[in-house]
Amino acid sequence: MIKLYGSNRSRALRNLWCLKELGVDYERDDRDHVSGEIKTDAYLAINPSGKVPSMTDHTGGGDVEMFECLAINLYLAMTYGKGTLWPDGAVSQADCLQWSMFSATEVEPHTVGALMERIFKPESMRDEAAALKHLEQLPRAFTVLEGVLGKQSYLCGKAFTIADLNVACVAASLHMVQFDFLAFPKVSAWLGACSGRPANQDVVAGNA
Amino acid sequence: MTIKIYGSLVSRATRNLWMLEELGVDYERIDLDWIKQENRSPDYLKINPAGQVPTLIDGDVTLSESLGINLYLAQKFGGGVLWPDDDAGQARCIQWSVWAAGELEPAVYPRVYEFVFKKAKDRDDALIVKLAERTLPLLDLMEGALSASAYLVGDAFSVADLNVAGVMEYLDRSDFDIAQWPKTVAWYETTYGRAANQKVQGERAPVAEAMLKRIVEHSRSEG
Ligand SMILES: N[C@@H](CCC(=O)N[C@@H](CS)C(=O)NCC(=O)O)C(=O)O
Ligand SMILES: N[C@@H](CCC(=O)N[C@@H](CS)C(=O)NCC(=O)O)C(=O)O
Repeated sequence: MIKLYGSNRSRALRNLWCLKELGVDYERDDRDHVSGEIKTDAYLAINPSGKVPSMTDHTGGGDVEMFECLAINLYLAMTYGKGTLWPDGAVSQADCLQWSMFSATEVEPHTVGALMERIFKPESMRDEAAALKHLEQLPRAFTVLEGVLGKQSYLCGKAFTIADLNVACVAASLHMVQFDFLAFPKVSAWLGACSGRPANQDVVAGNA
Repeated sequence: MTIKIYGSLVSRATRNLWMLEELGVDYERIDLDWIKQENRSPDYLKINPAGQVPTLIDGDVTLSESLGINLYLAQKFGGGVLWPDDDAGQARCIQWSVWAAGELEPAVYPRVYEFVFKKAKDRDDALIVKLAERTLPLLDLMEGALSASAYLVGDAFSVADLNVAGVMEYLDRSDFDIAQWPKTVAWYETTYGRAANQKVQGERAPVAEAMLKRIVEHSRSEG
């Protein structure tokens, strides 16, 4: 059975979305990441980074234990989503690796940076200049996405894959910081289509 | 068809060159001179619309993202060696690669800018302190993993080690002392010291020195 640690108020949301898309059974450990619940010895034995999410999968006698939300999604897609979230064909599979890394390196550092400075930090410690500096980095990555999505509906072609999920789950948080999508109509429509998928809507609403 | 890798010896492409040398596959390196803006030429933007290096071309596959390229190469050519056979090992290879990209690189890459490109008096000390604070728990995490096994994924070298060491080199290049993490020191020396990487680094050294001189001259001429 797969076990996922983390609540839908944390990055575990991204994995819940993926699990729901795949329709696989899983167990949930909804522990809170702002209390000490992720710093106990028992939890650190599963995830020594002391963060959420983490995932274990002992299906069929295996012993997979891992952290890093985007990596967990790649693993889940490769293992349980062959032909769907993990598309057939070397080119598409390579693209899934590329876009997941792109999300981690070119998108997430800046979305997180902007969220910290505008929302998560206590008001007195926020730095608006730093928030803007992060937001200014994003158009370069979004221009790349806009180009691809001008030619095809999804990042690997005609169908929704883990590439879309791993980029959209990171980019979606930009709505919280009033990022201006005006120059990126294709990205905006694609993001709406991805986020609007029933699997994601269920997870966001807490029904998964 | 021979694999092509775009990017110079003084860029993230060295991570891929190291991987290709480990795998012993033939490849052609195509240097792009970013001072001359060769990475912004219309032809290059067709294969890498962000105008960044590296880009890999392997038949129909055109890929960017250095650490993603390495996962691709390990899976295609390194089965049972750089890419372990078991699910648990593969999961960990992906985990450490994403961790290197999303956690380690943002904490260590900006140091290079401060230490290699700036004069001591121009450095942003507040930033350097902030980066160090972020780096410590990451090194603790590695030390824990390397206390349990010789390499990040069990007792054999894999793409996980290559991808993490390929990013850790920024600490090395910016005089960050990791002596407090002895297992990590030993692992880094063995991993970074591998013959395949030393070959790449040996070719890189004189090119890097010449480039640094050009950068200094370039920034002077820009005022
Ligand atoms: N790179 C990690 C980051 C995980 C992370 O920072 N998780 C947050 C919650 S969303 C957390 O656990 N924070 C609590 C802490 O760091 O103590 C991932 O993508 O999974
Ligand atoms: N996340 C990318 C980053 C690539 C990147 O930033 N490459 C640098 C050289 S190491 C570059 O091309 N810089 C030129 C530019 O940004 O215009 C990767 O890991 O491959």
